[in-house]
Amino acid sequence: MPQALNKSYDELVESAQRLFWLKGYRGVSSTELASYLDVSASTIYNKYTKEMLFMDSVRYYMNNYTDPFLSQLRETTGGIESLRGFFYSLVDALLDKTFPKSCLMVNTVVEMRNENKDVIKLYDDYFNALTHSYKVVLDKSIELGQLKHPEKRDEYADFLLGVIFGLSILYKINTKEELQKFIDEQLSFIV
Amino acid sequence: MLYIWFEIEFMRYKEYNVNRVAEKCMFLFWEHGFGGSPIKDIVEATGVNRFSLYHEFENKEGILYGALKLYRERYCDDKFAILEKDGRPEQLLANFYLSFLNSNNPVEGCFFIHVGTEMADSDPQIKALLKEYLHEIEKLFIELLEKHSDTKENASFLARHLIGLYCTSMSFCLIHTEEQRLSHISNGINLILNKHVDHATSP
Repeated sequence: MPQALNKSYDELVESAQRLFWLKGYRGVSSTELASYLDVSASTIYNKYTKEMLFMDSVRYYMNNYTDPFLSQLRETTGGIESLRGFFYSLVDALLDKTFPKSCLMVNTVVEMRNENKDVIKLYDDYFNALTHSYKVVLDKSIELGQLKHPEKRDEYADFLLGVIFGLSILYKINTKEELQKFIDEQLSFIV
Repeated sequence: MLYIWFEIEFMRYKEYNVNRVAEKCMFLFWEHGFGGSPIKDIVEATGVNRFSLYHEFENKEGILYGALKLYRERYCDDKFAILEKDGRPEQLLANFYLSFLNSNNPVEGCFFIHVGTEMADSDPQIKALLKEYLHEIEKLFIELLEKHSDTKENASFLARHLIGLYCTSMSFCLIHTEEQRLSHISNGINLILNKHVDHATSP
């Protein structure tokens, strides 16, 4: 008798996402994944593969962490000040372990580089959402007269795209005060 | 007499062997992560049994520290030397960042950033090694910027943000095509280095 699956696929993804976030893709073996999810090894080999669960974990992360965070950012009205708040709250989440580890998106790029087509496709969506959100906020700061060189908006958006990545590494070795100062100074490059 | 000869040959063999093991493990950890490399895979990749490995490196973490040391000694000097060359900082900096990302590298990116991303939250020794490595680069940035009149005054400030850009280049840029990497890196360098120039010329 094959073992009945008592959890839905979505529930499995939700759990798997936590394990992948902490240990990365290659740091989790299929056996470990099966035992963490409390399903049989054959489920992972035949039905829901590790790769499939991983890709959906990254999607889950985008839908549940990135998107709400970004739509909040787009709603803000303070321009540069809102960006500062956005990066500060990211640092808080990293330091107080609301995020168990650096951003899953960042970890995944460092681990898998540009070798996997599905990962690259997923990232295109992520970068587009991020760039779009930054441009919305930058437009607001142009309206508010905060930017000395409004014509450089797209260069600024590209620069800001890197900030989350830099912070995801720097938080590991710097204090909260150093990180906030770093954010303030990063923003001074665009005003 | 024979014993002394044996001892010398053995020491030579051992040094060679330790570096060879550290390098093989560097590739293994870089490709599969530390957590994704069980000791049986390390034994298989190096051809050295686990008792000899633990005798030399103490534990699995010790092998990782050895791999980082080897990476620094064997793969970084020629890249760091770019920063000491003559030329404009923006060009030398771009060459420096890109030297980690071109096809001359065994794996694209930086092994310290790779290991740090996985381990620096949980392993204080890795955190310290990552910090030390980035400080070394920051110092080279400062020395470079101090050589030029337009960047001299703000050298430490600029170097701090060029380190930020280093972290970004060794993570974010890994997913990029070559063209995107060059564009993101030059854009970053220009924004950082032109900050004070802009201010000086703005009313």
